[in-house]
Amino acid sequence: MRAAALAVLPLLAAVSSLLVGSTSLSPAAVASALLHPHATGVLHTIVWQLRLPRVCIAATVGASLALCGAVLQGMLRNPLVDPYLTGVSAAAAAAIAIAIVAGVSAAATPGIGFVAGLGAALLVAALARRGGGIDSNRLILAGVSLSTLFAAIVTLALVRAQSNEYASTVVAWLAGSMAGRGWPELATAAPYAALGALLAFAVAAPLNALRVGELRARAVGLNVNRAQWIMLAASSLLAASSVVLAGLVGFIGLIVPHIGRRIVGSDARVLLPACASIGAALCMFADAVCRWIVAPAELPIGVLLAFIGVPAFLYLYLRPASAVRRDTVSRRL
Amino acid sequence: MIELRGVTLDVGGRALLRDIEARVATGEFVALLGRNGAGKTTLLRAIAGLHCLRLGAISIDGAPSAQLRALDRAKRIAFVTGDEIFLESLLVRDVVSIGRFPHHRWWQWNAAPNDDAAVDCALAAVRLEPFAQRLFSTLSAGERQRVWIALGLAQETPILLLDEPTSHLDVGVAHEILALLRRLTREGKTVVCALHDINEAACYADRIALLGDGALLALAPPDAVLTEPLLQRAYGIAFARRSALLPDSVLVAQPHVGT
Repeated sequence: MRAAALAVLPLLAAVSSLLVGSTSLSPAAVASALLHPHATGVLHTIVWQLRLPRVCIAATVGASLALCGAVLQGMLRNPLVDPYLTGVSAAAAAAIAIAIVAGVSAAATPGIGFVAGLGAALLVAALARRGGGIDSNRLILAGVSLSTLFAAIVTLALVRAQSNEYASTVVAWLAGSMAGRGWPELATAAPYAALGALLAFAVAAPLNALRVGELRARAVGLNVNRAQWIMLAASSLLAASSVVLAGLVGFIGLIVPHIGRRIVGSDARVLLPACASIGAALCMFADAVCRWIVAPAELPIGVLLAFIGVPAFLYLYLRPASAVRRDTVSRRL
Repeated sequence: MIELRGVTLDVGGRALLRDIEARVATGEFVALLGRNGAGKTTLLRAIAGLHCLRLGAISIDGAPSAQLRALDRAKRIAFVTGDEIFLESLLVRDVVSIGRFPHHRWWQWNAAPNDDAAVDCALAAVRLEPFAQRLFSTLSAGERQRVWIALGLAQETPILLLDEPTSHLDVGVAHEILALLRRLTREGKTVVCALHDINEAACYADRIALLGDGALLALAPPDAVLTEPLLQRAYGIAFARRSALLPDSVLVAQPHVGT
Protein backbone atom coordinates (compact mmCIF):
# COMPACT_ATOMS: atom_id res chain seq x y z
CA MET A 1 0.00 0.00 0.00
CA ARG A 2 2.67 2.47 1.08
CA ALA A 3 5.00 1.20 -1.61
CA ALA A 4 2.33 1.75 -4.26
CA ALA A 5 1.63 5.26 -2.97
CA LEU A 6 5.35 6.09 -3.02
CA ALA A 7 5.61 4.84 -6.60
CA VAL A 8 2.52 6.72 -7.80
CA LEU A 9 3.40 10.01 -6.10
CA PRO A 10 6.31 10.98 -8.41
CA LEU A 11 4.25 9.99 -11.47
CA LEU A 12 1.42 12.26 -10.36
CA ALA A 13 3.89 15.05 -9.71
CA ALA A 14 5.48 14.58 -13.13
CA VAL A 15 2.11 14.66 -14.92
CA SER A 16 0.89 17.75 -13.09
CA SER A 17 4.23 19.46 -13.63
CA LEU A 18 4.00 18.78 -17.38
CA LEU A 19 0.55 20.37 -17.51
CA VAL A 20 1.59 23.57 -15.75
CA GLY A 21 3.37 26.50 -17.31
CA SER A 22 3.08 30.02 -18.68
CA THR A 23 1.31 28.70 -21.81
CA SER A 24 -1.81 26.77 -20.89
CA LEU A 25 -1.97 23.44 -22.69
CA SER A 26 -4.73 20.86 -22.52
CA PRO A 27 -3.81 17.41 -21.14
CA ALA A 28 -4.71 15.94 -24.53
CA ALA A 29 -2.31 18.27 -26.35
CA VAL A 30 0.51 17.44 -23.93
CA ALA A 31 -0.20 13.73 -24.27
CA SER A 32 -0.18 13.86 -28.05
CA ALA A 33 3.07 15.84 -28.06
CA LEU A 34 4.62 13.24 -25.75
CA LEU A 35 3.44 10.40 -27.98
CA HIS A 36 4.95 11.95 -31.09
CA PRO A 37 8.54 12.77 -30.15
CA HIS A 38 9.57 13.54 -33.73
CA ALA A 39 6.82 16.01 -34.55
CA THR A 40 7.57 19.71 -34.95
CA GLY A 41 5.78 22.90 -33.94
CA VAL A 42 5.37 25.21 -30.96
CA LEU A 43 3.47 22.68 -28.88
CA HIS A 44 6.15 20.08 -29.42
CA THR A 45 8.91 22.52 -28.51
CA ILE A 46 7.19 23.58 -25.30
CA VAL A 47 6.67 20.02 -24.16
CA TRP A 48 9.96 18.47 -25.29
CA GLN A 49 12.40 21.36 -24.92
CA LEU A 50 10.95 23.30 -21.97
CA ARG A 51 8.70 21.24 -19.75
CA LEU A 52 9.99 17.69 -19.99
CA PRO A 53 13.62 18.62 -19.23
CA ARG A 54 12.41 20.75 -16.33
CA VAL A 55 10.42 17.84 -14.93
CA CYS A 56 13.39 15.49 -15.31
CA ILE A 57 15.76 18.00 -13.72
CA ALA A 58 13.39 18.60 -10.81
CA ALA A 59 13.06 14.85 -10.27
CA THR A 60 16.86 14.39 -10.37
CA VAL A 61 17.50 17.28 -7.99
CA GLY A 62 14.79 16.23 -5.53
CA ALA A 63 15.81 12.57 -5.49
CA SER A 64 19.53 13.45 -5.22
CA LEU A 65 19.10 15.84 -2.33
CA ALA A 66 16.79 13.52 -0.41
CA LEU A 67 19.09 10.51 -0.89
CA CYS A 68 22.11 12.60 0.04
CA GLY A 69 20.42 13.78 3.23
CA ALA A 70 19.33 10.26 4.17
CA VAL A 71 22.85 8.87 3.66
CA LEU A 72 24.56 11.67 5.61
CA GLN A 73 22.06 11.56 8.48
CA GLY A 74 22.53 7.81 8.74
CA MET A 75 26.30 7.96 8.43
CA LEU A 76 26.72 10.69 11.05
CA ARG A 77 23.77 9.42 13.12
CA ASN A 78 22.60 13.00 13.38
CA PRO A 79 19.10 14.01 12.29
CA LEU A 80 20.12 17.67 11.88
CA VAL A 81 22.56 17.02 9.05
CA ASP A 82 21.72 18.19 5.55
CA PRO A 83 23.45 17.76 2.17
CA TYR A 84 25.07 21.17 2.40
CA LEU A 85 26.94 20.27 5.55
CA THR A 86 29.95 18.79 3.79
CA GLY A 87 30.75 22.13 2.11
CA VAL A 88 30.05 20.69 -1.35
CA SER A 89 27.32 23.14 -2.27
CA ALA A 90 28.93 26.16 -0.67
CA ALA A 91 32.10 25.53 -2.64
CA ALA A 92 30.16 24.95 -5.85
CA ALA A 93 28.20 28.16 -5.27
CA ALA A 94 31.39 30.12 -4.58
CA ALA A 95 33.08 28.79 -7.72
CA ILE A 96 30.01 29.52 -9.82
CA ALA A 97 29.72 33.04 -8.36
CA ILE A 98 33.37 33.74 -9.19
CA ALA A 99 32.94 32.29 -12.67
CA ILE A 100 29.87 34.43 -13.36
CA VAL A 101 31.47 37.60 -12.06
CA ALA A 102 34.64 36.88 -14.00
CA GLY A 103 32.54 36.57 -17.14
CA VAL A 104 33.12 32.88 -17.84
CA SER A 105 30.63 31.56 -20.40
CA ALA A 106 27.36 30.24 -19.00
CA ALA A 107 28.00 26.82 -20.56
CA ALA A 108 31.15 26.32 -18.49
CA THR A 109 29.84 27.41 -15.08
CA PRO A 110 28.07 24.17 -14.10
CA GLY A 111 31.24 22.17 -14.78
CA ILE A 112 33.30 24.58 -12.70
CA GLY A 113 30.78 24.30 -9.86
CA PHE A 114 30.80 20.51 -10.01
CA VAL A 115 34.60 20.26 -9.85
CA ALA A 116 34.77 22.81 -7.01
CA GLY A 117 32.09 20.93 -5.08
CA LEU A 118 33.91 17.61 -5.30
CA GLY A 119 37.18 19.35 -4.44
CA ALA A 120 35.61 20.76 -1.30
CA ALA A 121 34.31 17.30 -0.37
CA LEU A 122 37.85 15.91 -0.67
CA LEU A 123 39.23 18.77 1.43
CA VAL A 124 36.61 18.26 4.13
CA ALA A 125 37.24 14.51 4.10
CA ALA A 126 40.98 15.11 4.45
CA LEU A 127 40.38 17.42 7.42
CA ALA A 128 37.96 14.95 9.02
CA ARG A 129 40.28 11.96 8.70
CA ARG A 130 41.26 10.16 11.83
CA GLY A 131 42.93 6.78 11.79
CA GLY A 132 41.74 5.15 8.59
CA GLY A 133 38.25 6.55 8.86
CA ILE A 134 36.22 9.70 9.17
CA ASP A 135 35.42 11.29 12.50
CA SER A 136 31.81 12.51 12.55
CA ASN A 137 32.42 15.58 14.68
CA ARG A 138 35.49 16.60 12.70
CA LEU A 139 33.51 16.21 9.48
CA ILE A 140 30.73 18.47 10.74
CA LEU A 141 33.20 21.07 12.06
CA ALA A 142 35.27 21.08 8.87
CA GLY A 143 32.14 21.25 6.67
CA VAL A 144 30.56 24.06 8.63
CA SER A 145 33.69 26.18 8.82
CA LEU A 146 34.59 25.75 5.15
CA SER A 147 30.98 26.55 4.20
CA THR A 148 31.28 29.82 6.11
CA LEU A 149 34.45 30.64 4.20
CA PHE A 150 32.81 29.86 0.84
CA ALA A 151 29.76 31.93 1.78
CA ALA A 152 32.10 34.85 2.45
CA ILE A 153 33.64 34.34 -0.99
CA VAL A 154 30.16 34.50 -2.55
CA THR A 155 29.43 37.74 -0.70
CA LEU A 156 32.74 39.17 -1.86
CA ALA A 157 31.97 38.20 -5.45
CA LEU A 158 28.57 39.89 -5.19
CA VAL A 159 30.06 43.04 -3.74
CA ARG A 160 32.75 43.18 -6.39
CA ALA A 161 30.40 42.32 -9.29
CA GLN A 162 30.96 44.85 -12.05
CA SER A 163 27.35 44.96 -13.18
CA ASN A 164 23.92 44.31 -11.74
CA GLU A 165 23.36 41.71 -14.40
CA TYR A 166 26.18 39.55 -13.04
CA ALA A 167 24.96 40.06 -9.49
CA SER A 168 21.41 39.00 -10.30
CA THR A 169 22.67 35.88 -12.09
CA VAL A 170 24.63 34.93 -8.95
CA VAL A 171 21.62 35.59 -6.73
CA ALA A 172 19.46 33.39 -8.98
CA TRP A 173 21.92 30.51 -8.44
CA LEU A 174 21.94 31.02 -4.70
CA ALA A 175 18.15 31.12 -4.46
CA GLY A 176 17.85 27.78 -6.21
CA SER A 177 16.13 27.73 -9.55
CA MET A 178 15.80 25.52 -12.58
CA ALA A 179 14.91 28.34 -14.93
CA GLY A 180 16.71 28.10 -18.24
CA ARG A 181 18.13 24.61 -17.63
CA GLY A 182 17.57 21.96 -20.22
CA TRP A 183 18.73 18.66 -21.65
CA PRO A 184 22.46 19.62 -21.94
CA GLU A 185 22.73 20.41 -18.20
CA LEU A 186 20.82 17.27 -17.35
CA ALA A 187 23.01 15.14 -19.60
CA THR A 188 26.10 16.53 -17.84
CA ALA A 189 24.92 16.03 -14.27
CA ALA A 190 22.67 12.97 -14.45
CA PRO A 191 25.44 10.35 -14.81
CA TYR A 192 27.11 11.62 -11.62
CA ALA A 193 23.77 11.72 -9.80
CA ALA A 194 23.09 8.16 -10.97
CA LEU A 195 26.50 7.00 -9.76
CA GLY A 196 25.87 8.69 -6.42
CA ALA A 197 22.47 7.02 -6.13
CA LEU A 198 23.98 3.64 -6.98
CA LEU A 199 26.62 4.06 -4.26
CA ALA A 200 23.92 5.18 -1.80
CA PHE A 201 21.84 2.06 -2.43
CA ALA A 202 24.98 -0.06 -2.14
CA VAL A 203 25.54 1.11 1.44
CA ALA A 204 21.97 0.39 2.60
CA ALA A 205 23.02 -2.58 4.74
CA PRO A 206 25.93 -0.67 6.37
CA LEU A 207 23.57 2.24 7.08
CA ASN A 208 21.25 -0.21 8.82
CA ALA A 209 24.09 -1.62 10.91
CA LEU A 210 25.21 1.89 11.91
CA ARG A 211 21.81 2.52 13.48
CA VAL A 212 22.99 0.72 16.63
CA GLY A 213 26.20 2.72 16.85
CA GLU A 214 29.62 2.54 15.28
CA LEU A 215 31.10 0.09 17.82
CA ARG A 216 28.31 -2.46 17.39
CA ALA A 217 28.42 -2.01 13.63
CA ARG A 218 32.12 -2.92 13.72
CA ALA A 219 31.34 -5.84 16.01
CA VAL A 220 28.91 -7.32 13.48
CA GLY A 221 31.68 -7.16 10.89
CA LEU A 222 31.11 -3.84 9.13
CA ASN A 223 34.24 -2.20 7.78
CA VAL A 224 33.14 1.19 9.07
CA ASN A 225 36.00 3.12 7.47
CA ARG A 226 35.33 1.81 3.99
CA ALA A 227 31.57 2.26 4.38
CA GLN A 228 32.05 5.89 5.48
CA TRP A 229 34.21 6.68 2.45
CA ILE A 230 31.59 5.21 0.11
CA MET A 231 28.84 7.14 1.90
CA LEU A 232 30.82 10.37 1.65
CA ALA A 233 31.51 9.77 -2.06
CA ALA A 234 27.81 9.07 -2.68
CA SER A 235 26.63 12.15 -0.83
CA SER A 236 29.21 14.41 -2.51
CA LEU A 237 28.28 13.24 -6.01
CA LEU A 238 24.58 13.68 -5.25
CA ALA A 239 24.98 17.13 -3.67
CA ALA A 240 27.34 18.41 -6.38
CA SER A 241 25.09 17.29 -9.23
CA SER A 242 22.01 18.85 -7.66
CA VAL A 243 23.79 22.18 -7.06
CA VAL A 244 24.97 22.22 -10.66
CA LEU A 245 21.42 21.59 -11.89
CA ALA A 246 19.46 23.91 -9.62
CA GLY A 247 21.72 25.97 -7.39
CA LEU A 248 21.05 25.93 -3.67
CA VAL A 249 17.75 24.18 -3.00
CA GLY A 250 17.29 23.88 0.73
CA PHE A 251 14.80 21.99 2.86
CA ILE A 252 14.50 18.80 0.79
CA GLY A 253 17.76 17.22 1.93
CA LEU A 254 17.07 17.92 5.59
CA ILE A 255 13.35 17.24 5.78
CA VAL A 256 12.57 14.45 3.31
CA PRO A 257 14.56 11.83 5.26
CA HIS A 258 12.47 12.71 8.33
CA ILE A 259 9.24 12.36 6.36
CA GLY A 260 10.51 9.09 4.91
CA ARG A 261 11.34 7.66 8.33
CA ARG A 262 7.86 8.61 9.50
CA ILE A 263 6.23 6.74 6.66
CA VAL A 264 8.39 3.64 6.18
CA GLY A 265 10.64 3.44 9.26
CA SER A 266 14.43 3.62 9.33
CA ASP A 267 15.39 0.46 7.41
CA ALA A 268 17.65 1.96 4.73
CA ARG A 269 16.65 -0.66 2.17
CA VAL A 270 13.15 0.83 2.23
CA LEU A 271 14.00 4.33 3.41
CA LEU A 272 16.39 5.20 0.55
CA PRO A 273 13.95 4.41 -2.29
CA ALA A 274 11.18 6.12 -0.31
CA CYS A 275 13.29 9.26 0.15
CA ALA A 276 14.23 9.34 -3.53
CA SER A 277 10.57 9.05 -4.46
CA ILE A 278 9.31 11.67 -1.98
CA GLY A 279 12.15 14.07 -2.81
CA ALA A 280 11.55 13.80 -6.55
CA ALA A 281 7.79 14.27 -6.15
CA LEU A 282 8.18 17.22 -3.80
CA CYS A 283 10.67 18.95 -6.07
CA MET A 284 8.52 18.44 -9.20
CA PHE A 285 5.41 19.75 -7.42
CA ALA A 286 7.32 22.73 -6.06
CA ASP A 287 8.80 23.50 -9.47
CA ALA A 288 5.33 23.37 -11.05
CA VAL A 289 4.02 25.79 -8.41
CA CYS A 290 7.00 28.10 -8.99
CA ARG A 291 6.22 28.27 -12.70
CA TRP A 292 2.49 28.73 -12.19
CA ILE A 293 2.08 31.02 -9.20
CA VAL A 294 3.57 34.21 -10.69
CA ALA A 295 3.41 33.21 -14.38
CA PRO A 296 4.86 34.25 -16.76
CA ALA A 297 7.61 35.05 -14.23
CA GLU A 298 9.08 32.35 -11.94
CA LEU A 299 9.61 32.04 -8.23
CA PRO A 300 12.93 30.56 -7.06
CA ILE A 301 12.18 27.02 -5.87
CA GLY A 302 14.35 27.39 -2.77
CA VAL A 303 12.20 30.31 -1.61
CA LEU A 304 8.95 28.45 -2.23
CA LEU A 305 10.12 25.31 -0.42
CA ALA A 306 11.11 27.35 2.60
CA PHE A 307 7.83 29.30 2.69
CA ILE A 308 5.60 26.25 2.44
CA GLY A 309 7.75 23.43 3.71
CA VAL A 310 9.13 24.87 6.90
CA PRO A 311 5.79 25.77 8.54
CA ALA A 312 4.35 22.41 7.48
CA PHE A 313 7.30 20.56 8.94
CA LEU A 314 7.33 22.57 12.15
CA TYR A 315 3.64 21.82 12.56
CA LEU A 316 4.32 18.10 12.15
CA TYR A 317 7.16 18.07 14.65
CA LEU A 318 6.27 20.69 17.19
CA ARG A 319 2.69 19.64 17.77
CA PRO A 320 1.62 19.11 21.40
CA ALA A 321 3.76 16.34 22.87
CA SER A 322 0.90 13.88 23.40
CA ALA A 323 -0.07 13.90 19.72
CA VAL A 324 3.53 13.39 18.67
CA ARG A 325 3.99 10.48 21.04
CA ARG A 326 0.89 8.68 19.80
CA ASP A 327 2.09 9.16 16.28
CA THR A 328 5.59 7.98 17.06
CA VAL A 329 4.45 4.73 18.59
CA SER A 330 1.93 3.91 15.93
CA ARG A 331 4.01 4.89 12.93
CA ARG A 332 7.43 3.91 14.28
CA LEU A 333 9.18 7.16 13.43
CA MET B 1 38.48 -21.88 21.74
CA ILE B 2 40.17 -18.55 22.38
CA GLU B 3 43.92 -18.39 22.83
CA LEU B 4 45.90 -15.29 23.83
CA ARG B 5 49.67 -15.39 23.56
CA GLY B 6 51.78 -12.54 24.93
CA VAL B 7 49.03 -10.01 24.33
CA THR B 8 50.03 -6.44 25.16
CA LEU B 9 47.45 -3.67 24.76
CA ASP B 10 47.89 0.09 24.59
CA VAL B 11 45.26 2.69 25.21
CA GLY B 12 46.13 6.23 24.20
CA GLY B 13 49.81 5.30 23.77
CA ARG B 14 50.04 3.98 27.34
CA ALA B 15 50.46 0.28 28.07
CA LEU B 16 47.30 -0.98 29.76
CA LEU B 17 47.79 -4.74 29.81
CA ARG B 18 51.08 -6.60 29.40
CA ASP B 19 51.89 -10.08 28.27
CA ILE B 20 48.52 -11.78 28.75
CA GLU B 21 48.64 -15.55 28.30
CA ALA B 22 45.28 -17.26 28.42
CA ARG B 23 43.26 -20.04 26.90
CA VAL B 24 39.49 -20.36 27.09
CA ALA B 25 38.04 -23.73 26.13
CA THR B 26 34.92 -24.26 24.05
CA GLY B 27 31.77 -24.28 26.19
CA GLU B 28 33.47 -22.54 29.07
CA PHE B 29 32.06 -19.59 31.04
CA VAL B 30 34.87 -17.26 32.03
CA ALA B 31 34.17 -14.18 34.13
CA LEU B 32 36.52 -11.24 33.76
CA LEU B 33 37.05 -9.28 36.97
CA GLY B 34 39.09 -6.25 37.86
CA ARG B 35 38.65 -2.71 39.02
CA ASN B 36 37.47 0.13 36.79
CA GLY B 37 40.17 0.89 34.25
CA ALA B 38 41.90 -2.46 34.74
CA GLY B 39 41.40 -3.27 31.05
CA LYS B 40 38.38 -5.60 31.04
CA THR B 41 36.60 -3.80 28.23
CA THR B 42 39.77 -3.27 26.23
CA LEU B 43 40.68 -6.95 26.49
CA LEU B 44 37.22 -8.01 25.33
CA ARG B 45 37.38 -5.57 22.43
CA ALA B 46 40.80 -6.88 21.46
CA ILE B 47 39.47 -10.45 21.38
CA ALA B 48 36.56 -9.22 19.24
CA GLY B 49 39.02 -7.57 16.84
CA LEU B 50 37.85 -4.07 17.75
CA HIS B 51 41.09 -2.98 19.40
CA CYS B 52 44.57 -3.39 17.90
CA LEU B 53 47.19 -5.40 19.76
CA ARG B 54 50.59 -3.87 20.30
CA LEU B 55 52.23 -7.23 20.79
CA GLY B 56 51.21 -10.85 20.83
CA ALA B 57 48.53 -12.77 19.02
CA ILE B 58 44.98 -13.93 19.57
CA SER B 59 43.68 -17.02 17.85
CA ILE B 60 40.09 -18.07 17.51
CA ASP B 61 39.58 -21.83 17.10
CA GLY B 62 43.18 -22.07 15.93
CA ALA B 63 42.90 -19.30 13.30
CA PRO B 64 44.95 -16.14 13.95
CA SER B 65 42.40 -13.42 14.65
CA ALA B 66 44.46 -10.73 12.92
CA GLN B 67 44.18 -12.58 9.62
CA LEU B 68 40.40 -13.01 9.80
CA ARG B 69 38.28 -10.68 7.71
CA ALA B 70 35.90 -8.56 9.77
CA LEU B 71 32.83 -10.42 8.48
CA ASP B 72 34.38 -13.83 9.15
CA ARG B 73 35.36 -12.75 12.64
CA ALA B 74 31.79 -11.56 13.24
CA LYS B 75 30.59 -15.06 12.33
CA ARG B 76 32.75 -16.51 15.12
CA ILE B 77 32.58 -13.85 17.83
CA ALA B 78 29.68 -11.73 19.02
CA PHE B 79 30.56 -8.71 21.16
CA VAL B 80 27.73 -7.50 23.40
CA THR B 81 28.03 -4.07 24.94
CA GLY B 82 25.43 -2.08 26.79
CA ASP B 83 26.93 1.32 26.01
CA GLU B 84 23.99 3.65 25.64
CA ILE B 85 23.79 5.33 22.26
CA PHE B 86 21.35 7.60 20.52
CA LEU B 87 18.88 5.32 18.83
CA GLU B 88 16.45 6.59 16.32
CA SER B 89 13.19 4.88 17.07
CA LEU B 90 13.79 1.26 16.23
CA LEU B 91 11.69 -1.78 16.90
CA VAL B 92 13.26 -4.46 19.08
CA ARG B 93 13.09 -6.88 16.17
CA ASP B 94 14.93 -4.42 13.88
CA VAL B 95 17.73 -4.06 16.43
CA VAL B 96 18.12 -7.83 16.81
CA SER B 97 18.05 -8.29 13.01
CA ILE B 98 21.26 -6.27 12.75
CA GLY B 99 22.98 -9.34 14.21
CA ARG B 100 22.38 -11.02 10.84
CA PHE B 101 24.72 -8.53 9.13
CA PRO B 102 27.76 -10.84 8.89
CA HIS B 103 25.66 -13.51 7.18
CA HIS B 104 24.95 -11.29 4.19
CA ARG B 105 26.99 -10.00 1.32
CA TRP B 106 26.65 -6.24 1.09
CA TRP B 107 24.69 -6.40 -2.13
CA GLN B 108 22.16 -8.85 -0.71
CA TRP B 109 19.20 -6.68 0.14
CA ASN B 110 16.71 -9.37 0.97
CA ALA B 111 16.72 -11.32 4.18
CA ALA B 112 18.21 -14.78 3.86
CA PRO B 113 15.72 -17.59 4.55
CA ASN B 114 17.19 -18.47 7.95
CA ASP B 115 17.35 -14.84 9.15
CA ASP B 116 13.85 -14.82 10.58
CA ALA B 117 14.43 -18.12 12.32
CA ALA B 118 17.70 -16.88 13.84
CA VAL B 119 16.11 -13.64 15.06
CA ASP B 120 13.10 -15.51 16.50
CA CYS B 121 15.43 -17.94 18.21
CA ALA B 122 17.54 -15.11 19.69
CA LEU B 123 14.43 -13.28 20.94
CA ALA B 124 13.12 -16.50 22.45
CA ALA B 125 16.41 -17.20 24.23
CA VAL B 126 16.20 -13.91 26.11
CA ARG B 127 12.41 -14.24 26.47
CA LEU B 128 11.71 -11.08 24.49
CA GLU B 129 9.22 -12.46 21.94
CA PRO B 130 6.36 -10.33 23.32
CA PHE B 131 8.59 -7.27 22.89
CA ALA B 132 9.50 -7.86 19.24
CA GLN B 133 7.24 -5.12 17.91
CA ARG B 134 7.93 -2.68 20.75
CA LEU B 135 10.04 0.43 20.30
CA PHE B 136 13.50 -0.05 21.77
CA SER B 137 13.28 3.36 23.44
CA THR B 138 10.31 2.23 25.56
CA LEU B 139 12.19 -0.66 27.20
CA SER B 140 13.64 -0.78 30.71
CA ALA B 141 17.38 -1.14 31.35
CA GLY B 142 17.08 -4.89 31.91
CA GLU B 143 15.03 -5.38 28.75
CA ARG B 144 17.51 -3.31 26.74
CA GLN B 145 20.38 -5.43 28.00
CA ARG B 146 18.49 -8.52 26.86
CA VAL B 147 18.00 -6.93 23.42
CA TRP B 148 21.76 -6.39 23.09
CA ILE B 149 22.35 -10.01 24.08
CA ALA B 150 19.75 -11.12 21.52
CA LEU B 151 21.59 -9.09 18.86
CA GLY B 152 24.73 -11.06 19.72
CA LEU B 153 22.83 -14.36 19.69
CA ALA B 154 21.34 -13.57 16.26
CA GLN B 155 24.91 -13.57 14.93
CA GLU B 156 24.91 -17.32 15.69
CA THR B 157 28.53 -17.31 16.78
CA PRO B 158 30.22 -20.00 18.85
CA ILE B 159 31.80 -17.31 21.05
CA LEU B 160 29.96 -14.64 23.02
CA LEU B 161 31.85 -11.76 24.67
CA LEU B 162 29.88 -9.53 27.02
CA ASP B 163 30.94 -6.25 28.55
CA GLU B 164 29.27 -5.88 31.95
CA PRO B 165 25.86 -7.23 30.98
CA THR B 166 24.61 -6.92 34.57
CA SER B 167 25.56 -3.35 35.37
CA HIS B 168 22.59 -1.11 36.17
CA LEU B 169 20.41 -4.18 36.68
CA ASP B 170 18.64 -5.30 39.83
CA VAL B 171 19.74 -8.54 41.47
CA GLY B 172 16.87 -10.56 40.03
CA VAL B 173 17.34 -9.52 36.42
CA ALA B 174 21.11 -9.82 36.73
CA HIS B 175 20.84 -13.42 37.84
CA GLU B 176 18.32 -14.15 35.12
CA ILE B 177 20.81 -12.94 32.51
CA LEU B 178 23.71 -14.86 34.03
CA ALA B 179 21.58 -18.01 34.19
CA LEU B 180 20.82 -17.53 30.49
CA LEU B 181 24.55 -17.27 29.72
CA ARG B 182 25.19 -20.38 31.82
CA ARG B 183 22.51 -22.22 29.82
CA LEU B 184 24.14 -21.08 26.56
CA THR B 185 27.48 -22.55 27.59
CA ARG B 186 25.76 -25.89 28.17
CA GLU B 187 24.56 -25.66 24.58
CA GLY B 188 28.19 -25.34 23.51
CA LYS B 189 28.78 -21.59 23.35
CA THR B 190 31.91 -20.09 24.85
CA VAL B 191 31.18 -17.09 27.07
CA VAL B 192 33.61 -14.48 28.33
CA CYS B 193 31.88 -11.91 30.43
CA ALA B 194 33.23 -8.83 32.21
CA LEU B 195 31.53 -8.45 35.59
CA HIS B 196 31.70 -6.12 38.54
CA ASP B 197 30.03 -8.35 41.10
CA ILE B 198 32.46 -10.88 42.53
CA ASN B 199 29.66 -13.05 43.88
CA GLU B 200 27.91 -13.24 40.51
CA ALA B 201 31.19 -14.44 39.06
CA ALA B 202 31.60 -16.99 41.84
CA CYS B 203 28.09 -18.35 41.29
CA TYR B 204 28.07 -18.71 37.53
CA ALA B 205 31.58 -18.84 36.06
CA ASP B 206 33.65 -21.96 35.44
CA ARG B 207 36.78 -19.89 35.80
CA ILE B 208 37.57 -16.32 36.74
CA ALA B 209 40.15 -14.14 35.03
CA LEU B 210 41.34 -11.45 37.41
CA LEU B 211 42.99 -8.37 35.95
CA GLY B 212 45.13 -6.05 38.05
CA ASP B 213 48.39 -4.12 37.94
CA GLY B 214 48.29 -4.22 34.14
CA ALA B 215 48.45 -7.99 34.02
CA LEU B 216 46.37 -11.12 34.30
CA LEU B 217 46.72 -11.94 38.01
CA ALA B 218 44.92 -15.26 37.82
CA LEU B 219 42.81 -17.45 35.56
CA ALA B 220 41.43 -20.27 37.63
CA PRO B 221 38.22 -21.68 39.17
CA PRO B 222 36.43 -19.26 41.51
CA ASP B 223 37.68 -20.89 44.72
CA ALA B 224 41.29 -20.40 43.71
CA VAL B 225 40.87 -16.83 42.52
CA LEU B 226 38.56 -15.36 45.12
CA THR B 227 41.08 -15.32 47.91
CA GLU B 228 41.68 -12.31 50.10
CA PRO B 229 45.26 -11.59 48.97
CA LEU B 230 44.46 -11.78 45.24
CA LEU B 231 41.33 -9.65 45.56
CA GLN B 232 43.13 -7.13 47.68
CA ARG B 233 45.81 -6.91 45.03
CA ALA B 234 43.27 -6.49 42.24
CA TYR B 235 40.90 -4.08 43.95
CA GLY B 236 43.19 -2.39 46.49
CA ILE B 237 40.76 -3.03 49.31
CA ALA B 238 40.39 -5.71 51.98
CA PHE B 239 37.78 -8.46 51.64
CA ALA B 240 36.25 -10.83 54.13
CA ARG B 241 34.25 -13.98 53.67
CA ARG B 242 31.85 -13.35 56.51
CA SER B 243 29.23 -10.86 57.34
CA ALA B 244 26.52 -10.71 59.93
CA LEU B 245 23.77 -10.44 57.35
CA LEU B 246 24.90 -12.60 54.47
CA PRO B 247 25.65 -16.32 54.09
CA ASP B 248 29.19 -17.55 54.54
CA SER B 249 29.95 -17.94 50.88
CA VAL B 250 29.38 -14.27 50.09
CA LEU B 251 32.45 -12.07 49.86
CA VAL B 252 32.13 -8.55 51.13
CA ALA B 253 34.55 -5.70 50.84
CA GLN B 254 35.88 -4.42 54.17
CA PRO B 255 36.64 -0.78 53.57
CA HIS B 256 39.11 0.82 55.90
CA VAL B 257 36.91 3.17 57.88
CA GLY B 258 38.22 5.97 60.06
CA THR B 259 41.84 6.66 60.86
